[in-house]
Amino acid sequence: MALPALLILALVIGYPMVAAVIVSLSHYSLLSPVHTFAGGANYSQLVHDPVFWQSLKNTAVYTGVSVVAGLVLGLLLALALERAAGPWRAIRALLLTPWAVPVIVVAFLFQFMFTTPGGIINAALLKAGLIHSALPWLTSPALAMVTVIIANVWTQLPFFLLVFTAALGGVPDEVIEAARVDRAGTWSMVFGIKLPYLRSAAVVGALLMIIQNFNNFPLIWAMTQGGPAYATSTLVIYVYQLAFTSFKLGYASAIGVVWLVLLLVIASLFIRVMRSDRA
Amino acid sequence: MTQALGDRTVPDQPTLVAPARRRLAAGRYVVIVIVALFIAWTLWPLYWMVSTSLKTPKEATSLSPTLWPHSLTTANFSELFSSSLPFGTYFVNSAITSVIAAVVAVLIATLAGYSFSRGGYRLSGAASVVVLATQMIPLVVLIGPLYLLLLKAHLLNTYLGLIIGYTSFAIPFGAWLMKGFFDGIPREIEEAARVDGYSRLSILFRVVVPLSVPGLVTTGVFVFMNSWNNLLYPLTLVNSNSRQTLPPGLLQSFSGTFKTDWGGMMAASVITSIPLVIAFFAVQRSMVRGLTAGALAGT
Amino acid sequence: MKKLAAACLALTALAAGGCGSSGSASGKTVVTFANWAAAEPATAPGIAAMIKKFEALHPKIDIKSEPISFTDIEHQLVLEVQSGNPPDVAELQGNYLYTLAATQDLQPLGGYGSGAFSKSVIGSELKLGELGGQLDAIPWTVGPIGLWYNKAVMKQAGLKPAPPATWDQLLSDAKAIHKKLPKVIVLGMDTTSREFALDAAWPVMTSFGAVPFSGTTSTADTPAMQSYLSFMRTLAKDGYTPEGQKTGFFRQPAASNQVAFTVDGPYVKGVAQSINHVSDQKFYQTWGVARLPTGSAGQHYSTPTDHQLVMFKNSANKTAAWQFMQFLATSQYSVLNYTLKYENSIPPLASPPAEVAKELDNPITKSFVKSIIPEVIKPAWGAHYSAAYLDVMAGIQKAMTSSEPISSVASGMQTSLKSDLGS
Repeated sequence: MALPALLILALVIGYPMVAAVIVSLSHYSLLSPVHTFAGGANYSQLVHDPVFWQSLKNTAVYTGVSVVAGLVLGLLLALALERAAGPWRAIRALLLTPWAVPVIVVAFLFQFMFTTPGGIINAALLKAGLIHSALPWLTSPALAMVTVIIANVWTQLPFFLLVFTAALGGVPDEVIEAARVDRAGTWSMVFGIKLPYLRSAAVVGALLMIIQNFNNFPLIWAMTQGGPAYATSTLVIYVYQLAFTSFKLGYASAIGVVWLVLLLVIASLFIRVMRSDRA
Repeated sequence: MTQALGDRTVPDQPTLVAPARRRLAAGRYVVIVIVALFIAWTLWPLYWMVSTSLKTPKEATSLSPTLWPHSLTTANFSELFSSSLPFGTYFVNSAITSVIAAVVAVLIATLAGYSFSRGGYRLSGAASVVVLATQMIPLVVLIGPLYLLLLKAHLLNTYLGLIIGYTSFAIPFGAWLMKGFFDGIPREIEEAARVDGYSRLSILFRVVVPLSVPGLVTTGVFVFMNSWNNLLYPLTLVNSNSRQTLPPGLLQSFSGTFKTDWGGMMAASVITSIPLVIAFFAVQRSMVRGLTAGALAGT
Repeated sequence: MKKLAAACLALTALAAGGCGSSGSASGKTVVTFANWAAAEPATAPGIAAMIKKFEALHPKIDIKSEPISFTDIEHQLVLEVQSGNPPDVAELQGNYLYTLAATQDLQPLGGYGSGAFSKSVIGSELKLGELGGQLDAIPWTVGPIGLWYNKAVMKQAGLKPAPPATWDQLLSDAKAIHKKLPKVIVLGMDTTSREFALDAAWPVMTSFGAVPFSGTTSTADTPAMQSYLSFMRTLAKDGYTPEGQKTGFFRQPAASNQVAFTVDGPYVKGVAQSINHVSDQKFYQTWGVARLPTGSAGQHYSTPTDHQLVMFKNSANKTAAWQFMQFLATSQYSVLNYTLKYENSIPPLASPPAEVAKELDNPITKSFVKSIIPEVIKPAWGAHYSAAYLDVMAGIQKAMTSSEPISSVASGMQTSLKSDLGS
């Protein structure tokens, strides 16, 4: 029964992945039909490539901050809206909307809002007296990363809200009632009673979003193309640029292989956590 | 289980009434402030999108942006459908490929997920791990060989080619989700049918699937949205306007090298977002149920 | 089982439907034309009209336009060539020609482009399409980079409305403008991570005596480069130039006189007029264009942003393809109704017919043709440009947005260029 799935995946993932590994072992430029065997040359190049390490760091920062912010804020909102009933339920539905907005739209919208000059965010902050001169949201290396993370959290927060709402709904009533009878205060209710039930949800949600963020191409590409000066260049952006604007497919594939190994390690850590949760 | 905010009656002890009520009231304000902040955080960009779509080119690209359109115009919207840019075509192509990808993925992932969940053959564990691991693969690295593969099969610039591309992330993800759902359905339910001699396939479709509708919906929605949002595949695998989807279409139509048409882009964004938002509203309650029952319980 | 079978059938039907789009009908010759003109809102209606007119003139030829965005067309064409399905004709610009020439799949145009055709085209423009003595591309539209200056804004800032002759002069003008009109963008310059950005920056760098690389030799760590980078840092830190914006970004605020100077080709006029709807007369009163200022080298420079047309070796319909290329580049109809009307760039005609000459008789075009075209130089285009440009642009971005010492930015640029170029 798993046969159709395995067949398709062998075709669309297996074959290209094997091809990519082979390509990573050669000097493969899209421009020339001649491809010489390079052995580990591409891999040793990436060890010495400052942009690779920068991209790795950017990916970690981008993914880490986005996921942590999503977890914390999502939990906060889920708890705040937990007892909403009737018309108040509509608020939760409203807060889930950003997830339905296409990512490319979010990228353009946030680029438009944060652009200097002419963006509304700077204009509003200046008018409110919160800043004295326009902030270089997309043009300063430090702030550019902040800006893309803001856009990313805007679009991903609903997912965490959804996950935690579902998880909170799964906390058994008896446990809550018992805690209430014991006159548990709000803090201990949240941290002592509910949080353990939310742990597996948080782990699953985080893993899903980590994988998604590693692969997240449209948002950063449309907002900053990885700039300024590689400040927002994550692994996927760098690989895309290497493969399609510099045509160095061999080197790009090598980075892809390293990335795959990295994600597998992270995922196995998470799965171990999840397995121990169930035990 | 649900209660209206703050309508709890406090038990007997009179000495606890006043501080409990005050704690409650303060807590309520905090909740209201938090929720209000996030409503603003959610709505502001959406408002900005809509208001820009109603501005003239001069106002939309002005270096001193205006909070609301000083001269309202619907030209951006009418131009979307009357200009030579095939916006309608992009929309239809996105819809077709995303819906079919979702349906196909749900179908195949259901089969695979069930097979991994119930096991029963030697390689099921290994196969399951391999499929789940493929979620980690950087798609951008696959795109070159995939392009060549589709070229040889004459599937570039076709719906089928694009859908095949989408399966590379849809099926691993779907199989993982569905396995989780099926893990959460006790095997005893299938026992009766097995005793009656039904085949595994018909047990799956007659007994298990009807119990997993929220799971199917969740998987379908995830795959639909990831396909709709995908930029990389249509950017590389399609270069004819008659088959191009929205993300690369929008990218090249409005962020061109001659000028950036913010008003037009926002109008296109509004139109693109509305159906998705509506569809999402329709299924989100089902998704909450689905996530509760399945993926979170049984991974 | 039945459900599966039904699903398979449905998919096959879709595949059949999906695949049925290609394939020539009724014995017509089909010429495929990969271009970004059809992908841009500014020019899409224009190119559609040109295709229609050509098909009307040549009923046996069908033109199939393949719109690909400006930033993607270079690698998209490379992919198509490597996988054996290139178009017949393609629109190219700048280094794209060199990248594609490296694939050795371009049809030499010497046979078609000799004689009458070569005489009808401006000599220096034709030469731009020559690689290694062989004509690989013909010019379609001409657009060198110049300095646009807004006379109204300059007057408002108390300056004489004359273009600055040196970068120092520009900086002092900038100071006055920024002081008097803080909301105006003083100098528009492309500092994005695109290949085109380096094309636009090249003449500015050269005027400082800075050349980042030539061929495969990196020469970025020089005092000249450092003075160029310091200049760019001044532009950013003093608030004259917003970093990270495309050339096209500045054309729209230019329409509302919110830009004082911008480094751009002829395209400003078309975009500005599409927004503010002023008459040509009024436009020429507000805007002028001059050669880019000189730096320490004392010389004016410019680089081409020309759009060129190429044909691919494997084309099965070379004659028809050539007819289309010629129509686009030099026919009066196309020049009047596309080049001048939609792109607002300059036709590559050596001796334009009367009707066209009339359109070209305006201060902006005259300045481009008489003062700017003669100063055109080529950047270090070649097979290595696409590997190297990002290192240079990243260095410029670093100079503009960080406070790393300029000497270290320059040497960092040299190091990454060396690793990408091999020397």
